[in-house]
Amino acid sequence: MSIKVDKTLVASVALHVLVLGWVMLSFSTKALEMPPEDSVAVDIVDDQPAKAMAGMKTGKKENPKPLVEKVAEAKPVDDLVGKITEKAPVVTDTAPVPQPKVEEKPVEKKPDPPKVVEKPKEEPKQVETKPDPPKVDPIGETIKKEEKKPPPKPVQAAKPPEAPKQRIVERHFDQNQIAALLDKRDPSRQAVTGDTLNSNAALGTAKGAAASNAATWGAMFMRQVRNCWKKPAGAIDAKDFFMEVEIKLRRDGTLEAAPAPLTSPRDSYQRVFLESAVRATIECAPYRLPPAFFEEWKDFIPQFSTKDAG
Amino acid sequence: MSVEHEPIHAPSLIGRRKVLSGLASSGLILSGVHRAFGQARVTVTGEVAPTPIAIPNFVAGTPGDAEVGVGVAQVITNNLKRSGLFAPIDQAAFIERITNIDAAPQFQSWKQIGAQALVMGRMTRQSDGRLKAEFRLWDVNAGQQLAGQQYFTSPEYWRRIAHIISDQIYERMTGEKGYFDSRVVFIDETGSKERRVKRLALMDQDGANVRYLTKGSDLVLTPRFSPSTQEITYMEFGQGDPRVYLFNIETGQREIVGNFPGMSFSPRFSPDGQRIIMSLQQGGNSNLFVMDLRSKSMTRLTDTPAIDTSPSYSPDGSRICFESDRGGKPQIYVMAATGGGAQRISFGEGSYSTPVWSPRGDYIAFTKQGGGQFAIGIMKTDGSGERILTAGYHNEGPTFSPNGRVVMFFREPGGSAGPSLFTVDITGRNELRVPTPGFASDPAWSPLLS
Repeated sequence: MSIKVDKTLVASVALHVLVLGWVMLSFSTKALEMPPEDSVAVDIVDDQPAKAMAGMKTGKKENPKPLVEKVAEAKPVDDLVGKITEKAPVVTDTAPVPQPKVEEKPVEKKPDPPKVVEKPKEEPKQVETKPDPPKVDPIGETIKKEEKKPPPKPVQAAKPPEAPKQRIVERHFDQNQIAALLDKRDPSRQAVTGDTLNSNAALGTAKGAAASNAATWGAMFMRQVRNCWKKPAGAIDAKDFFMEVEIKLRRDGTLEAAPAPLTSPRDSYQRVFLESAVRATIECAPYRLPPAFFEEWKDFIPQFSTKDAG
Repeated sequence: MSVEHEPIHAPSLIGRRKVLSGLASSGLILSGVHRAFGQARVTVTGEVAPTPIAIPNFVAGTPGDAEVGVGVAQVITNNLKRSGLFAPIDQAAFIERITNIDAAPQFQSWKQIGAQALVMGRMTRQSDGRLKAEFRLWDVNAGQQLAGQQYFTSPEYWRRIAHIISDQIYERMTGEKGYFDSRVVFIDETGSKERRVKRLALMDQDGANVRYLTKGSDLVLTPRFSPSTQEITYMEFGQGDPRVYLFNIETGQREIVGNFPGMSFSPRFSPDGQRIIMSLQQGGNSNLFVMDLRSKSMTRLTDTPAIDTSPSYSPDGSRICFESDRGGKPQIYVMAATGGGAQRISFGEGSYSTPVWSPRGDYIAFTKQGGGQFAIGIMKTDGSGERILTAGYHNEGPTFSPNGRVVMFFREPGGSAGPSLFTVDITGRNELRVPTPGFASDPAWSPLLS
């Protein structure tokens, strides 16, 4: 039996297969190879970011030893505020069951990172507002006192419906009696124990990031020097420029030396502009700048700009 | 007049001041070499502010010179104050009394009253009758002498000496040349509006020493100073057509520039004073012509069926700005001084007229009319940076100070009142009326006299 084959159909099929096959081959995925790139060494030229990470020079170095005030089995202390006392925490009948937090503290737990201990007596109120669990329950004390005292006067003469509520209100927080709630004792705490004595608390850490504070004291400097600076009005269409003057200050804000111009003026206007800047820095001294940042402002460079104050 | 001058050096200072100034100068010497690393840099911006300056009366070197010493200090004070760039301190606040200008002042007592600069001077009559004027300019905070000069002149020119000293102070403190030792020619107007008498007048830039150059029998208009000589050109309406005249201030000599057919308008000198550019009316049009004053030859610069007028040279003499209505409304055009294609530079709303090129070359001042207002403004020579300095009814006729820093113009308030002269800084600040004996219009500022 002969089958009549349409030649055009065969040719069409063959061509389609050919084209599709070519398409499949040519469009097949191919891994995109990334040419390896050489690493480029980058140096930070600007000293400001480095400075921002340097931390405060006035801060004490990181304390290698944990804060320990008494040689004993290591026992952490949550709050380092208050005097050290040997007394056991006072527990009253009405005091609530000591919170499990105290009991659950693992003895092996490393002492907390040293915290700042500065003048603990100056802020007793903070401690009083945050009563420690072992301390006397102030509410319980208040109730005790209230039992001795006569009942508070009723506000209105007779209000029978309110009478039964008196008992419930016994533990109610009374704003007028707030003084009674205060713990009159000095704040105290347990000594921090450990295997070696070290009573120095560290201030921050050596690698702690302290941002450059130039923005803060720089703005203060500008506000002051602006009062003395009479920017000369010459050269109306001069292109914007700035003139640098190095100034060295003492701790009291006075000039240690005459301001030293760092920029060389290129024309008469730049010269009078620079002179006006030097004049202003001399006239406005002494400067009131934050003593904490003295290391930053004891020697710095104001850039006097032709731009108007923004 | 002749003014001789020579510099005065700073007297030697002692103690802390010496150390301070030494440190300051060493700082200057080190500049560019010493670069401190690791220091914080703080940007300081500020507003332009007048410099507080103390100007005590000049010391009388001889007993009879006390009055002139007071006068010189007053003229300097007035000049610097009117410039808007200085704030002279009231003499009543002074702590130290200056008696000897050869010794350094007590800087602390001047610093205490807020002075940043101090002017000390002395007027001494010489045996030959001349007057010696000496002055020193001190930087109060740095404790340094900024300028020192002495002058010899005839006693009657003491005001001139005060203007010269003012220029010295201005230049040393602002970095720009001064403009106080200059004069203004203007049209003095007296009488009622219907019968106004107009005379050509000359005065110092501060309004002093007014002199009348014409008698007022003929109408005079548009006086213009030569940028290089003490000559004035102006228009006068006599019996026939208006004529362009030349007037020599020193000699008082007057001559007609030429007889031209038809009307001639708005003559103005070339920067070298050798040529006069003007517009001549021909029928309904007017065109620009330049005349060589020596050969009296005329050269046509424009030939348009429009009104071209008010030409003004650039200070280097290479270009001309002028007013033309060739585009419909009066606008400002700039072209080469030899003529040729002109480029329109004013494109704002309204019409522009009376363009004047600044002696500094950077700006063109103009009168702008629109919306019922006559404004005085400036624009850069390519037409950019247009800035209106004053607006209202009715401002006209701008002229630049010799240093290009101040524009003088006249304002006609309308009604029965007459015009007055005003000055304004090219920043648009510090508008001030210029004192004149009567009404005044059409001012033209001279170049510096020295």
